[in-house]
Amino acid sequence: MIRRVLRLTTGRIAFGILAAIAFLAAFGPLLAPYDPLEGTTDILANPSGAHPLGTDYLGRDVLSRLLDGSRVSVLGAVQVALLALVVGVVPGILSVYFGRAFEWVTLRLADTLIALPFLVFAVAVTALLGNGIPQAMFVVGVMVSPLFYRVARAATLSVARSQYVEAAIVAGASVGWVVRRHVWVKVLPPIAVALANTTGVGFVVVSSLTFLGIGVQPPAPTWGGVLAADLGYLSFQPWAPLVPTALIMATVWACNLLADAIRDVTGEAGRALLNTRKLDPGKVTNGSPVAP
Amino acid sequence: MSLEVSDLDVHYGRTRALRRVSLSVAPGQTLGVIGETGSGKSTLARAVVGLVRPSAGRITVDGEEVTRYRARQWRALRRRGVVQYVFQDPLRSLDPDVTVEDSIVEPLLIQGRPRREAADRARRLAARVHLDEELLSRLPGELSGGQRQRVTVARALVTDPRVVILDEPVSALDAANRVRALELLKQLRDAGTALVFISHDLGSVAGVADRIAVLYQGGIVEEGPARTVVNAPRHPYARLLVGSAPTLRSAAADRAQREELRELLQNIGGPA
Amino acid sequence: MALLSLRDVRIHDGVGGRDLVHGVSFELSPGKVVGIVGESGSGKTLTCRAVLGILPEHFRVSGGGIELDGRDVATLTRKEWTALRGGTVGAVFQDPASYLNPSLRVGPQIAEVVRVKKGLGRRDARRRAVELLGAVRLRDPERVYQRYPHELSGGMLQRVLIAAAIAADPRVLIADEATTALDVTVQAEILDLLADLRERTGLALVVVSHDLAVVAQLCDEVLVLRAGETVEQGPVERILYEPRHEYTRLLIDQHERYGLDRFRELDHVA
Repeated sequence: MIRRVLRLTTGRIAFGILAAIAFLAAFGPLLAPYDPLEGTTDILANPSGAHPLGTDYLGRDVLSRLLDGSRVSVLGAVQVALLALVVGVVPGILSVYFGRAFEWVTLRLADTLIALPFLVFAVAVTALLGNGIPQAMFVVGVMVSPLFYRVARAATLSVARSQYVEAAIVAGASVGWVVRRHVWVKVLPPIAVALANTTGVGFVVVSSLTFLGIGVQPPAPTWGGVLAADLGYLSFQPWAPLVPTALIMATVWACNLLADAIRDVTGEAGRALLNTRKLDPGKVTNGSPVAP
Repeated sequence: MSLEVSDLDVHYGRTRALRRVSLSVAPGQTLGVIGETGSGKSTLARAVVGLVRPSAGRITVDGEEVTRYRARQWRALRRRGVVQYVFQDPLRSLDPDVTVEDSIVEPLLIQGRPRREAADRARRLAARVHLDEELLSRLPGELSGGQRQRVTVARALVTDPRVVILDEPVSALDAANRVRALELLKQLRDAGTALVFISHDLGSVAGVADRIAVLYQGGIVEEGPARTVVNAPRHPYARLLVGSAPTLRSAAADRAQREELRELLQNIGGPA
Repeated sequence: MALLSLRDVRIHDGVGGRDLVHGVSFELSPGKVVGIVGESGSGKTLTCRAVLGILPEHFRVSGGGIELDGRDVATLTRKEWTALRGGTVGAVFQDPASYLNPSLRVGPQIAEVVRVKKGLGRRDARRRAVELLGAVRLRDPERVYQRYPHELSGGMLQRVLIAAAIAADPRVLIADEATTALDVTVQAEILDLLADLRERTGLALVVVSHDLAVVAQLCDEVLVLRAGETVEQGPVERILYEPRHEYTRLLIDQHERYGLDRFRELDHVA
């Protein structure tokens, strides 16, 4: 599948951007020219040779803060995505096959999570498990998992009632076989799209949690945190939010492109299931990227 | 008997979809089951392959009584490949993301047979159903209706089944493909496979069936050798069915006779 | 005089850049039935649509001529077409449900046709619609009038559509695969109804089907179409007993060797 995705221009662009971001996450902290936490008297400075992206309201080098924060931000988003995948997608698929009881319980759990106010849940988890990045990401992951549960369940349901699955069952296939051979490929594209969207939400939520003092503590930089701080000084540095925004958008856009590419290579069935998000198909298949 | 069904009842909730249906097929024999919309013909087929649970009666497949089989037992029986089911719609019964070859050999792979053996078998089956070998690597969406239909037949034959249930196997085909498909079914029958040929169209079944059963509102109202059912049907519905089937030269009934039979059926209602 | 005559009609596909129908000719007189047999892609539906003036976009009649009731349809204005459709020529197609508005009761939909085409008032239109539902042999037309499309079976819907098609007393009715999706006994009901209408009202019919037997039961003249080409044309008796083209023979074979005719043939011999 990866090879098929890479045959598309969109797939290659998406992989390129994601590779660059992975590089930032891995080596960003080492590349930072200054200590991202060290303040100077030179506050809210415009870009210069010494500070290519200027300094913030405490005189800290913005470039260093962004580079240093990339690891936490990206790992956070990945953690959210993986958690949502495990907590949402797996039960979503199994709810169709594991009998009425399992279906009932998971459906009610999903409903409960949707009904739960996000902040109350976040504060409760922090109180219970302590304050930290993994805890914050856990909160976000669990909160978005109903979305994945539903998407996976809907896709699985439509496949489970199909004649080709019945044909496999008549040939003696087990649930595992059906899921591996027939269901998984159809569930993947809508999940990929949901995942791309979640990654974007992940960045933003991390910053809003930071604002509330949950998860990442204020001096430690994240992309979302830098963005939130910049927004407070718009009258002095109106251009400042552009840089963290561009980073976040590039990541989200790359995830979306990748999701589109996956959808395109998984054929007709995958496309049909994606009615939640219909893009102009010409845009993707021509491979001409759209400006972010 | 390859397949024996006796006094079979199936309920969907409180609706009785099948009432006391009995039929049997011997090896090398073809039974045509004729039924129109809502007659229960698909329910019958699904019950025989275990997709629907009967509420009463007995089903015996290749000497094994399967009526009360649990999921695990069904799976074991199916994996032996004794009974196969060709679905009505070839496009919908093939996974659009799975190649033709993989679809054909899926029953073998489920049994855990090695890939190489399966690929070999796929090529031989393709030849048998007159499917171009190069089509094996294609996806179902790239095939014509007739080709897809041959793929589903090939998949049903891959395990050398004793019983094959075919749900409307020729309804969607044009004249040339229809003749070809019927020839193939005849060959199968001559090789000793028991066939159950389910259709709404008497005309398409008459040519290959040895015996014909007419299903009406969930019950069998007429059963017998094909020739007898076609030439001397007794039940009013069977008579209407024969009289309604389009024929080229000698219609079995004229308009007035059909009208009479319709009146009669209105008055007597369904089978008890 | 012929009600409908086609002279060497050719239909061109502007996108594909080629002719899809290469010369179809026939004449239809009042009370007569012409049958067109062919598979999907044979051009039979395009021919019907050309007669109705509803060819899909990019398709046009590129040669020959179509005359409806003595008028060359190529010269018709949009307004004249509208008057002709329904008034002179009506049509029913394969999937009746898709021609009815699912959220309206079927009766008023027919009444509307009557009001527009016949200029009747509301009450008269309703009465006429109920009459029409009775004319297509629906039991209890008053009740059917009040039904929504989803409450009726495929056969009943097709009758409703026939009722709408004959609402403005057309002289030609085109039935394009009108019985294909129906059960065999229901198909016979619809075919019987068409034969009945023809006898009672002198309606001329164009019956289009992929099944030669369906056409054979009703028609006086048969055209066998294949890939846009008329491979055989003639009186139904001649086609059935002395087919000249190999494809026609295949169509007959299908019934004689594999269908009900198999038994009949042998019995006649015996």
